[in-house]
Amino acid sequence: MTNILLLEDLPEIRAWLSSLVLQVFPGAQIAEAARVHDALGLVSAIRFDLALVDLGLPDGSGVDVVAALREHQPETQSVVVTIHDDDEHLFPALQAGAFGYILKEQARELIIEQLHRISQGEPPLSPSIARRVMAYFAAKSKPQPASPNAMPTVSLTERETEVLLRVAKGYTLPEIGQQLTLSRHTIADYVKQIYRKLNVSSRAEAALEAQRMGLFGR
Amino acid sequence: MQRPRLLSAAPALACGMSRHAGRLALPLLLCLGLLGLAASADAQTVKIHAAQAVVSDSPSFPADPPAQRIDLPDDWSLSRPGSDGPVWYRLSFTAPGLRERGELLALYIEHVCTNLQVYLNGQLIHSGGQMHEPITQNCNHPQLVSLPAGLIDIGLNSLDIKVVGHALSRVASTHRAGGLSALEIGPQSVLAERHAQQVALNVAVPQAVSATLLLMGSFMFVLGWINRRDSHLAYFGALSVGWAIVESRLWLRNLPFDNAVSELLLCSMLPLLTWASVQFLLRYAQVRHRWVDIGMPLQALAVPASLLLAGPERLYPMASVWYVLLALQTLAAAAFYLRTQYRERRRSFWPMALLLCLATVALAVEYGAQKFGLRGLLMQLAQAATPAMMVLVGLRLLQQQGRALQAAEESKAHLEMRIREATAEIERNFTQLAELRVEKVTERERKRIAADLHDDLGAKLLTIVHTSDSERISSLAREALEEMRLSVRGLTGKPVQLIDALGDWRAEVVSRLGQAGIEADWSAPSDELPQTLSARAFVQTTRILREAVSNVIKHSGATHCSLSCEISDGDVQIVVRDNGHGIPMELDGRLDRGHGMASMKHRAKQLQGQCLVESGPGYGTVIRLTLPLTRATELS
Repeated sequence: MTNILLLEDLPEIRAWLSSLVLQVFPGAQIAEAARVHDALGLVSAIRFDLALVDLGLPDGSGVDVVAALREHQPETQSVVVTIHDDDEHLFPALQAGAFGYILKEQARELIIEQLHRISQGEPPLSPSIARRVMAYFAAKSKPQPASPNAMPTVSLTERETEVLLRVAKGYTLPEIGQQLTLSRHTIADYVKQIYRKLNVSSRAEAALEAQRMGLFGR
Repeated sequence: MQRPRLLSAAPALACGMSRHAGRLALPLLLCLGLLGLAASADAQTVKIHAAQAVVSDSPSFPADPPAQRIDLPDDWSLSRPGSDGPVWYRLSFTAPGLRERGELLALYIEHVCTNLQVYLNGQLIHSGGQMHEPITQNCNHPQLVSLPAGLIDIGLNSLDIKVVGHALSRVASTHRAGGLSALEIGPQSVLAERHAQQVALNVAVPQAVSATLLLMGSFMFVLGWINRRDSHLAYFGALSVGWAIVESRLWLRNLPFDNAVSELLLCSMLPLLTWASVQFLLRYAQVRHRWVDIGMPLQALAVPASLLLAGPERLYPMASVWYVLLALQTLAAAAFYLRTQYRERRRSFWPMALLLCLATVALAVEYGAQKFGLRGLLMQLAQAATPAMMVLVGLRLLQQQGRALQAAEESKAHLEMRIREATAEIERNFTQLAELRVEKVTERERKRIAADLHDDLGAKLLTIVHTSDSERISSLAREALEEMRLSVRGLTGKPVQLIDALGDWRAEVVSRLGQAGIEADWSAPSDELPQTLSARAFVQTTRILREAVSNVIKHSGATHCSLSCEISDGDVQIVVRDNGHGIPMELDGRLDRGHGMASMKHRAKQLQGQCLVESGPGYGTVIRLTLPLTRATELS
């Protein structure tokens, strides 16, 4: 049995997504929420396997729910379901621990396929997101002033960077697999790894930032 | 001697030898030698160096006591020390042939102190002024006495001169001690000229000096008084005014005081002058001594007090001591001033040193004249030198003051300029800040509009997409949603790197064609490209490409589609070529019909580019899109 959190404020879309999810995961238990507050309550009460989270909600951003899930239920796969396709909206959610994103207006079949892929460990990655991730890690690799509480830095491997570079240039994941003579699964693993590292690094950074604020606040 | 003798004169008895006879006059001197006369160089006047003299206050030349023969000039301090006179002098002269010639005779007395009356053959013909206290002060005024022709006898004429004066001990300067200079008799025209010259030198020059010093001194005093930082100017002004007052003693004849009081007042002026000059020099060197500030006023009181204590009989020795003391003080102050100037390497050292040296020499000459009773041009030069120095120093001070004023004006102008610059800078910054604020507000507003669009319009369109039963309405709503998203991006987006835009386009085109089962072939430069696209240009190009790919998918029936992108001459050219069946003529003829060609062309035109469509049944469709990069970059 699969427990699924569905956070969406528009009732029609929520119902539509709900039926779509049941089609992908027959017999799943779907907990629906329309507000961030409600969703956070559910997160503290129920253990979820998958969470579909909208970003723009009446009482806040779905990013908070993604972060809460990452914190309390690290095993849960969070997928952002949104009408924002730009990296400015998506990147924070990915940093918070979202594992992929789905654009809501796409055709039912397309979304079903993407959901399948994500649940099988093949998250999507757009060129603009790839560029954003590269820029993030490039900024991190710059020499930084020595800090007494320096965290172990997370960095991308050469292969992961290679994959990101090709995604940024507009190549699809299967194309990259062909170019690097790697299997589709290996490429998917790289992408997953990139997502994970982005999340880990962002969390470390956030923790460091919080510590710094604490130092200043004292 | 070409001209005939005009006159001869003699004291009653023995001869006096001329001390001033010129070489030309020698023959005459020899012939007149016994008479004690000397013909002057022009041989028209006769200089008299001897007379009979007797001390008496009688109204006419006394018969008793008997007169003695004395040499002229007669300095009372030497011939009769301590005597206040009056002294009668008598001499005789003949003037043969005077009436025939019709010339006027005159007696010229270069120096008489303090005053005189002249009698010709017993008749009073001239009075210098008041003969009793306060006696008219004529020491510095040469006397010219016309000898009325009617009173002159053909034979021997007797000339009596009554002189009143003061013993040296009762005056502060040898210049004012009683005495009579040598006398000269001759044609009035000649002597009047001499007299006028001497008056100019003795009276007019001191008057001019007094006026100048008074004017300049007052001016400087006011200047220094107003601006306390320039206190040296005030002291210099006081010095000048004081000097002008002292100088007035040379030409002011009638004072309402008797001799003792006027001498005391004059002497009391000197410590005040010293005070002013010492303080001027110190302040000018930017030094202030407390003991000078206190000592100088005390000294100014001590001098008249000591003179009063000594009494009028011992005025001269007392004053002489003070002269030396005061002169030494002034010299010390001058030396001190010069030393500081020299140490500080001031440019004004040399001119000031020169001026002060000249003033010292003048002081020394003055002192010498006092000590040895010198009289004449040198002493007069020395007397004029000190005020002249003062005028020069005054001019120099004024020049400095003027320069300081100019410098102040300049610095003020400079300051004003700086203020104007700073104001302009502030205004500029303010404008920039305001612009930034406007930009920020605009940005925020755009973001708000974008968020509203997403939340409101986006949500409704999305609902239509997923709830409509009609596939056509769903897809229209989906397209509208995409359009809205692009519009928002064009509204809020930042410029996009061309290489990034190519990546985005490739990903979209290839995945869409792939999903439609059409083989895609994309070629584009993959190196770093420096160009950027404005958000608007990026959005419009994305729309055109999307429309073109949609056409390929929906209408072409193609199995292969190639897209190429080239950058040349500041243009970006994108060619979309498919192997479908082309656009049928009737479709092309009738505007568009869902193919979106018109909107593609319209969008290209908005970007100053063009969109060409080549199509024919059987050989596919080629869409050539050319956009100028510079325009696309600028449009934002």
